[in-house]
Amino acid sequence: MSIILLIAVPLLAAFISIIFKKIATYLLVAVGIFNLVVLFIAPMGVITIGGFTPPIGISLLFDTYSQFSLVLINALIIIIALLNCKSFNKYSGILLLAMASLNGLLLTNDLFNLFVFLEIAGIAAYLITTSNKKPLKTFHYLILGAVGSSLFLFGVVILYSMFGTLNMVDMIIKINNTNNYDQLILPFTLMFIGLGVEAKLLPFNSWVKGVLGKSNTLSGPMIASVYAAAMSFVLGRYITNLFMFEGNLLLVVTVLLSLGILIGEAMAFQSTKARKILLFSSVAQASIIALLFVNGVVIWAVYYIIAAALSKLVLFLVINKATKEVGNDNLDNLQGLFSNNILVGLTFTLATLSVMGMPLLVGFVIKLNFLTQLAAASQIWLVVIILVASVVEGIYFVRMLVKLWYKGKEQINVKYHISFKIVFVLVAAVLLVLGTYKAPLDNYDSTIDTVSQEVINNG
Amino acid sequence: MIQYASIILFVFGLYGLLTNRNVIKMIISLNIMEVGLFIFIISIGFNYDGVAPIITSNGAGLIYVDPLPQALVLTAIVIGVGTTALALSIAKSIYKKYGTFDLDEMEGER
Repeated sequence: MSIILLIAVPLLAAFISIIFKKIATYLLVAVGIFNLVVLFIAPMGVITIGGFTPPIGISLLFDTYSQFSLVLINALIIIIALLNCKSFNKYSGILLLAMASLNGLLLTNDLFNLFVFLEIAGIAAYLITTSNKKPLKTFHYLILGAVGSSLFLFGVVILYSMFGTLNMVDMIIKINNTNNYDQLILPFTLMFIGLGVEAKLLPFNSWVKGVLGKSNTLSGPMIASVYAAAMSFVLGRYITNLFMFEGNLLLVVTVLLSLGILIGEAMAFQSTKARKILLFSSVAQASIIALLFVNGVVIWAVYYIIAAALSKLVLFLVINKATKEVGNDNLDNLQGLFSNNILVGLTFTLATLSVMGMPLLVGFVIKLNFLTQLAAASQIWLVVIILVASVVEGIYFVRMLVKLWYKGKEQINVKYHISFKIVFVLVAAVLLVLGTYKAPLDNYDSTIDTVSQEVINNG
Repeated sequence: MIQYASIILFVFGLYGLLTNRNVIKMIISLNIMEVGLFIFIISIGFNYDGVAPIITSNGAGLIYVDPLPQALVLTAIVIGVGTTALALSIAKSIYKKYGTFDLDEMEGER
């Protein structure tokens, strides 16, 4: 079975779901499971389409890096769809579209194809955020997303005019042959901004507050967990292999990302609303991930993306469900949320402690390893910035946990469906098991991304 | 020359997007920006003495225009239309909710 089915089948199912609305949710789950099966049996390598040998025509690149990301994305979409099958059943077709486009984003080896999938993923994301019933915020997101995509296309077209190819591997080979980085600064900056809008990097992320600050149990996990993870994986692939920042551009990007970490954590610290705390924490996390890729810490950045996606899934689901029932997400109004929901409270606490990087949880193992690697690469300032950010993160998360655990004046009673609880327990178990038994994490290294190998083979 | 014109158009669109406070005008600005980009894409494959890239028996030695940017721009136009349609439908929802397209007028109600 070819990996191209991961794009074709959800796209076909999205059209079918418009005609057969009643079976749309089942179709989504069936397609998601089919995708997961294909991911484990499809052959890896460069997959050509239409018989055109690369660099002519469009090709896909399926390696362990894309396999990790695709398993995560497809599994998360199935979980989110199942949890929202009653309240948001009309969105199944859109989730199928999101699935097809995100799979395409993570598989494609063609820069223009990447722009196409970026736009389709964007359109699906705008539609998902319409469930917030805040059209102005969605419009703001759409405008920023459209400008970002246009800038990305501008960068791609400039690169095409310089090198005459759109194939990523071929482009990297030609760039290596020219050995003149100065002329690449403009297209790389434009492409980085384009991807940065969707990846929530400062200062291109002003849409995040409006969208995630008013999110629900569908849009919150989809944007903060699924889209954030997918865009981080895409950004990581391009930072590591294509952009390879150097000189002044490296300095500017490093400063911007460091500011993103500090400002994100500071904004989360001063927030009193639960969703804002989570969204600003996500902004800081996105910058940390990009910074790790910039410094070549690939494998721990990949694990960090996966851990962040799983933790944010639980955090946003718990808070958004409570917000829906309580009416607002002020921490004072959510006080005592876990006094009647011990199990939910425990899983939420474990997810939060993992994000903070507390021992016995996978977040600690990941943070310890990437900080060690950064220190070994003499990036002491970055280590200091991430440690300071972790301290600030620790303070506001502990403050939030104390509020949510201790009863307030008014008793609040939020009912979580058993399906929610099963997901929370499973995620917490994964975070705990990988935090105490880290052998599976050591099985992989930075060679999971095979683009550089392809460049050597074809160069 | 065409490339300068397209970049000017792109910047006009971006300027309109940043300065306009009307939702519909913002969508129009976005479209102007995209048109600038499309012309830029076409311009990189354009050749003053070039002919249509069709292989014929006596075509040896002829200069062709690059057909790839034309194919790219077709796809980009379709995506642009899709985004504009979605933006207009969201604009309709905004009007339904606030009774105006002007961002300043709905400022207090947000």
